[in-house]
Amino acid sequence: MADKGNDPAVIWQTMIGEMEKGFNSFANQAMASPEFSKVMNQVGGVSAGAQKQLGELMEKYLVSMNLPSRAQMVGMAERIQGIEGQLNEIKAMLHQIHHNSLAPEGGYGAARPPRTKRPPSEGEQK
Amino acid sequence: MNAPAAALDLASIPERIQSEVQRAIQRSIKGVEYISSSGPALGSTPKDVLLSRGTLNLYHYRPIADEIYRVPILIVMATTNRGYILDMVPGQSFIEFLLKRGYDVYMMDWTAPKPEEKSLRMEDYVLDFIPDCVRRVQQDSGETDVTVIGYCFGGVLSLLYGSIFNDGPMKNLICFTTPIDFREMKLFSNFSDRRYFDVDRLVDSIGNVPPEMILSSFEMLRPASRAVSQVNLWENIWNDEYVKAYRMMDRWGTDTLPLAGEYFRAITKDLMWDNKLYNDTMTVGGRAANIADIKVPILHAVAEHDHIVPYDAAKHLIAKVGSSDKEEVVLKGGHVSVVAGANAIKRLWPKLDNWLGKRST
Repeated sequence: MADKGNDPAVIWQTMIGEMEKGFNSFANQAMASPEFSKVMNQVGGVSAGAQKQLGELMEKYLVSMNLPSRAQMVGMAERIQGIEGQLNEIKAMLHQIHHNSLAPEGGYGAARPPRTKRPPSEGEQK
Repeated sequence: MNAPAAALDLASIPERIQSEVQRAIQRSIKGVEYISSSGPALGSTPKDVLLSRGTLNLYHYRPIADEIYRVPILIVMATTNRGYILDMVPGQSFIEFLLKRGYDVYMMDWTAPKPEEKSLRMEDYVLDFIPDCVRRVQQDSGETDVTVIGYCFGGVLSLLYGSIFNDGPMKNLICFTTPIDFREMKLFSNFSDRRYFDVDRLVDSIGNVPPEMILSSFEMLRPASRAVSQVNLWENIWNDEYVKAYRMMDRWGTDTLPLAGEYFRAITKDLMWDNKLYNDTMTVGGRAANIADIKVPILHAVAEHDHIVPYDAAKHLIAKVGSSDKEEVVLKGGHVSVVAGANAIKRLWPKLDNWLGKRST
């Protein structure tokens, strides 16, 4: 086998790793400055504002084309999620009723394992 | 400097070339497979949904041990990410590990808050969602005591809950990589510098904070790492295990959730700007939340190379809680690998089992 120090794949990996560390470190130093924060937030603020305006414009356009807007699709998705949520609650209730019906006096978790586990003593295999 | 040619084993060169050619062919084949296939199914441990309230889901994982500990566990997931990081695939699932070790496990997991949920506040999470889930766990398990485990910002929510409801029913508290000194999250602190970051304008104009913004702020902490991970993927695409692990982590890492607008406003103002948790001035819904009021046994697991929550941001937690039974464990690894990677399987999970088992009877 070739010496690892001469293995081109290892050299390549090491180089990539070092480049990553160096770039991250350099970028972190640059991003720690107040100037970076100022520029980033100026750009971010403009972008958020533009995104909002574009969203409003698109909404008007879709209404004029008689197409559902994103808000309407989200509304439909919410209704479906709501139905799914109610189904899950019914399922959980049925699950609970089924468990309780198996209990001799309607106690909790009759079909579940007993809550009697003790931690293994020191040195015991788990 | 060495003379590479002199030290190179010439006899190994044909073998090496053959191996590289085979890998190149494998890369092409596996590369096509990668593009045309979906990743492994994640979060598949059998569970029941006990509660679904908008952004909140409460799961109960079906026990698999013949005998379980008396005290159930409620996991509070970070609000920025999905809970399946703790339930990746069989053999690499924290949830599965807990179930096999005899714990009864519940999880508070989050979905993207809907536009009308932009008004969810910190108090909705701390004074409503967590107490409601604790009640449901009590009802479902028939036990009064509950162990709470919080991951990252789920740990912050758990601390706030435990500070306010310090007379029970939380019996034990475990935090994973939980920040309390937000000044020490230096880059996040700089990104949200109050002189330049107008959180009111942001929340008032867009409502919920979009996931792209959350994701890009995480990625900016290590800007070269995403590109390097793509290079490494190509290098290792012949290796099925590497690709599987990459796909799991990549899917989870990019599956970031939006944050409810008012909740984000509170995080920014109370924690990032005023550092109230560290300064013991935090209030939630008018109720003081001082972590010195937490008296239950607590374990805090932190990662040595955590770039999201640096050790300096997390290290004061154990010193500041009022518990007499408290322990910090510093483990090798990063923010995610400490709870979900190979390191977690070897280090954190057995440590947690050892600590929690004797406190769960």
